[in-house]
Amino acid sequence: MFGAVIFSLFDGAIISIVTPAWKVENVITRGLRNSVTFFNSQKALIAENARLGEKVSSLEIELTSLSIRQTQENVLSTLLGREHELGKVLAAVLTHPPQTPYDFLVIDAGGNQSITLGGEVSLPEGPILGRVSEVFSRSAKVKLFSASGEETSAVLERNNVPVTLLGTGGGNFKVILPRDVAVENGDKILSANINSQLLAVVGEVNVQSTDSFKEVLAKSPTNIFSLRFVFVTP
Amino acid sequence: MKKRALGLLIVLFSILALPYWIYIPILFIAIILFPFFWEGILFALLIDVLYGSFLGTFPLLFSPTAAVALIALVVMLFFRDNLRSYV
Repeated sequence: MFGAVIFSLFDGAIISIVTPAWKVENVITRGLRNSVTFFNSQKALIAENARLGEKVSSLEIELTSLSIRQTQENVLSTLLGREHELGKVLAAVLTHPPQTPYDFLVIDAGGNQSITLGGEVSLPEGPILGRVSEVFSRSAKVKLFSASGEETSAVLERNNVPVTLLGTGGGNFKVILPRDVAVENGDKILSANINSQLLAVVGEVNVQSTDSFKEVLAKSPTNIFSLRFVFVTP
Repeated sequence: MKKRALGLLIVLFSILALPYWIYIPILFIAIILFPFFWEGILFALLIDVLYGSFLGTFPLLFSPTAAVALIALVVMLFFRDNLRSYV
């Protein structure tokens, strides 16, 4: 415990020393990944191209429906005097799971970019990921909502049922619901705040005939193992 | 001595660059292979300082990885005489 106290005092300094190594590692990793992609077979690339084409079209549809809803929400927010806050800070992710065992991120923006404790961290596309848990001068630690044991209030989009998301690590969540509540794979779970940002997507529903409750397993909408940039609301 | 220094470098590099499912086994393999690898506790603390959060995750500034490393180190003190190592 004494060691932990000493180390925690030098937390920021240690991270500052290690930051250049993480930056170099990120550059090397990306370079290697690109080299591997270059040597992929033609057949695999055609298949990949087709798959990505389908994904783009589905995302375009999703974006259209989202923007209609977003416009309606914006009008409502303006009418209620609760307009969306701007002034988000873009930060590069220095380390992410699986390098971090506890579902934490280390980002390259800290007190120098007016990042504050509890700041909301989201993806550039919108989904919310976690909150800032420690702030240093040039970096900050972000605790993801999927961190083991982390409880987050949320809303099941299908029927607007308030739920508590329990983080189970690795970008996964667990929700316990009464068995009568309708929920299906692919259902969205949104944040409980006024912005209703995407938090998780239902991946599996487990229910036994004798149980009063059903166990819903959800996953983060993005792959947290390959995060590069995030937005932080100071 | 050179092998121990090399071992330290390998453990340090793996903590900074590799996924946790690689560096945690490497750390414990080093604790088993090297006699009284007390540096392992410092490395375990480093893991929790870099990748965890003493404010947000570990109550009372308790470092779970360091605690497990300490237990492994103590256990190895009793078993070391019965192990044959070529390191």
